[in-house]
Amino acid sequence: MRLANPMTLLVFLGPTLLLLIVLRLWPAMAALVDSLYAPRADQISLDNYVFIFSDPVFQDSLVVSAIYSLIVNPLQIAIALMLALLLNAKGPLIGLWRTLILLPAAVPLSVSAVIWGIGLRPDGPINALLMTLGLEPQRFLTSPDQALGSIILIVSWVGIGYWMTFLLAGLQEIPKSLYEAIRIDGANRWQTFRYVTLPQLRRTLTFVLVANTVANFLVFAPVQILTQGGPRGSTNLVMNEIFTLGFVQGDRSSAAAATVVLVTVVLVVVLIQFRLMQAPEDNAA
Amino acid sequence: MKMPRGLIRLIVAATAGLLFFLPIWWITVGALRPREDIFRYLSPLSWETLWPTNATLNNIIQLFQGDFTRALFNSVFVTVVAVVIGLILCAMAGFALAVMRFRGREAVFFVVVVSFLIPFDAIALPLFGLMLDAGLQNTYIGLILPGIGNGLAVFLYRQFFLGIPKELREAGVIDGMTTFGIFWRIYLPLSLPAHITAGLILFLFQWQAYLWPLLIAPDTDYKVAAVAIAQFTDNIEGTQYNLIFTAAFFIALIPMILITYFQKYFTASVSSLGGKG
Amino acid sequence: MSDLIMNRRRLLGAMSLATFMLTSTSALAETTVNFLITHSDGRWAEVVEAFNKQHPDITINIQVVPFNDLITAIETRVGRGDSSIDLFYADTPRIAAMSSQGYLLNLDDRRQMIEDAVQSDIAMSMVSAGGSVWAYPMWTTSQFLFYNRDHLAAAGIEAPSAAIADRMTWDKVVADAAAAQKAGAPWGLLFEQVDRYYQLQALFESAGGGSGLTGENMLEADITNDAWVKAAQWYGDLFESGLSPRGITPGQTTDLFARGEVSYFVSGPWSIGAFEAVEGLNYGIAPHPYFEGGKPVTATGSWALAINPAAANLEAARTFAEFATLTEEGSRLSTTLVPNVPMQHEALAEFQTRFDDLIPKIGPAMEIMSHELANTAIPRPTSTGFIVFETEIGRAFADIRNGEPAAEVLEATQQRLEGLLARQR
Repeated sequence: MRLANPMTLLVFLGPTLLLLIVLRLWPAMAALVDSLYAPRADQISLDNYVFIFSDPVFQDSLVVSAIYSLIVNPLQIAIALMLALLLNAKGPLIGLWRTLILLPAAVPLSVSAVIWGIGLRPDGPINALLMTLGLEPQRFLTSPDQALGSIILIVSWVGIGYWMTFLLAGLQEIPKSLYEAIRIDGANRWQTFRYVTLPQLRRTLTFVLVANTVANFLVFAPVQILTQGGPRGSTNLVMNEIFTLGFVQGDRSSAAAATVVLVTVVLVVVLIQFRLMQAPEDNAA
Repeated sequence: MKMPRGLIRLIVAATAGLLFFLPIWWITVGALRPREDIFRYLSPLSWETLWPTNATLNNIIQLFQGDFTRALFNSVFVTVVAVVIGLILCAMAGFALAVMRFRGREAVFFVVVVSFLIPFDAIALPLFGLMLDAGLQNTYIGLILPGIGNGLAVFLYRQFFLGIPKELREAGVIDGMTTFGIFWRIYLPLSLPAHITAGLILFLFQWQAYLWPLLIAPDTDYKVAAVAIAQFTDNIEGTQYNLIFTAAFFIALIPMILITYFQKYFTASVSSLGGKG
Repeated sequence: MSDLIMNRRRLLGAMSLATFMLTSTSALAETTVNFLITHSDGRWAEVVEAFNKQHPDITINIQVVPFNDLITAIETRVGRGDSSIDLFYADTPRIAAMSSQGYLLNLDDRRQMIEDAVQSDIAMSMVSAGGSVWAYPMWTTSQFLFYNRDHLAAAGIEAPSAAIADRMTWDKVVADAAAAQKAGAPWGLLFEQVDRYYQLQALFESAGGGSGLTGENMLEADITNDAWVKAAQWYGDLFESGLSPRGITPGQTTDLFARGEVSYFVSGPWSIGAFEAVEGLNYGIAPHPYFEGGKPVTATGSWALAINPAAANLEAARTFAEFATLTEEGSRLSTTLVPNVPMQHEALAEFQTRFDDLIPKIGPAMEIMSHELANTAIPRPTSTGFIVFETEIGRAFADIRNGEPAAEVLEATQQRLEGLLARQR
């Protein structure tokens, strides 16, 4: 295909690119510059980076974020994919079940955090249910061993329906003829999934994988509201630490340094994901 | 003896749906409860945990007598504007990235990806300074602008448009269509699922926004619902959870109506795992 | 042609007249003072109404943000030179840090006026930093031990005495709370502001451990001494033993006592307002407890009013702030709906008779408060590092409440504070 007409290109790409540069990249650059000035310093240095990397709390928050991401992303995508496959069929009230699963995404995140905080209270309804079933009550958000799991539960309750919706949209686009063809070949259910659904869903899955990874790196409202990173730093995600440093403690420069570190880490992870999910025809357009 | 597959599917779907809905049902029940009853039936479990005894409409009346009506209107207004403009702009950018050939396309795509990796809350501060200097505090424009250009929505459109067979485009060229014609008459009509999901991204970004509106639109005239709800904390008698639950119910109600409406466009044309096996 | 010129001239004339009218009306128009606060309960309505009788030309526009976001809003908006905030709440221990960052208007020219109105050295010290005055002292606070009479009666425990001389020790409170719990009370003892330094400072001070900040400019942490560890462990044990409920936020505590689920509750005078609104709550008030062998200490301090140096309406903001804090009327009205303690001396004298009607029911609350304010109140330390200290110590309290060993948690927090406070020097 020929190169695009520059005017047409400008019309199509210009407005969005301008918005992204002015409202996202420029302020990010400002943060990058901030991160090079130690408090009250007028010369650039790497002092802020030295400080955060020598701070055990920040080091721990990197570890917590890594563990959290390794669990929450596969978990959410697997459940979302299973639900999408389940709810892609015709069936009684299918729209209702989809709506109900997506609905938590519409509740203000602060309220979701509050209701789960109450639900998971040691004297709350979830423990009441466990005891009714003859099980031991659990400590949930008040235990260093269970708090991160509780946070994962909450963000998954919010997120699974959301990611499921993208996967449902992707499933809609798979041509029916492919299913018929493979069925004629005598493929079983697993083979159908493996050789038709999964490859056809690749672009959608790339989107969901990348977007979900990013979203989970950036989420912190439930942590901020429910645990402030505790107990013993067990839920102190990097983003929560950035918020605490920057907005609560007023240490802008180390918050900016931590932001630069976070964006760099996420960028590397995302680029690896692109590489893994890439197919040759993507660039042949 | 095996249960029919459709029945198993229904049972699993219904269980999942109800489990996800349970906390929202609890919010709804809380919205109908007098303040002193909100936490009364937490433990041990009883039917009253999930059913409002002493149901009252006082919370709703009290809520809509205050600033909340205006805040809900503001939320709806800024969200609708952001979604409509954002869909058009992001679809065009996604089209350019998926279909047009130009030098630096990789670089532009990189900019798009980086833009949605940047934690918005962490850059709210310099952005606030910029908007303040531009005189956009306490304006709808200040609220809406950051929600329009959404790298994630651009990325979604790009992914979707890449999946549209290029033969369709070539046919359009042969028919003498302009680039805009191809975009408008071929790509957009074929992309309903992308519009709905990109709309979802833009909608929730704007609808859920908290820190940004708190800073850029603190005035009562421009306050949005997500900010208004936070005001029921820290009052003389602690936090007014009854009003928080009531407000949360209405904040969730509007998307619920929209989601229910747009569900019908997701009606499956195939059953991917085979209805009858 | 000439008609056209004529018309244009007439048009220009009309336009300049309109411009003139516009500017002159805006000069006559009301000034609006934007006032950033954290209470949405309408406690300012009466103050504003009374103020507008004297100054009908100044409109007070109240902007409410939640407690947790107030600091964020001030840091961001005032920090970025947003002139649309004129006046805002400032928590007294943060004044040192905020003034050093240039967020507060210097009020040295009003020093005499403020001194005359509050007549209290403690009050002046709480709004001062680096030898200057930075805010108008507005309210103060004190602490009581509230108790549920029905719970104590059910357990056969004698109600605590309201006499200062009979102040309970924490050991006695814990023993009685445990007995009340045994007799059926869901929870024995609860602090209203779980994990907040404001309320817990008194424990460490009473145990003899100091405020936790020390050294030059109060920029060194000192939270690992024996008294701190002992008091922190005591706090953790309240939750470990089940006397206090885990997983509760400060926003949920008042509700628990009001519903009759807590036997002993530590809180301030504002809670009287909340509890009086609850029908059938049979409660009383005693002096704040202390540790055996230590001295009695109570928390104090509250919001002051500060002016944004970049405020668009500086003078109008001053006029309102001075009415609200330095006049008897304004000070009294700002504490009518919610019983915070006014700082203005005449309003304070009136306030001290406020709950006289309630003495037979709850005890001589104001008599206790006057004693505490004069003798046992210790303000939070004034330091540019206070914000950092308060955040980290709050995290430490949360960990200890959740069952982590106090000594280890305090040691880790001490380490972190050393790093963070070094950046404030």
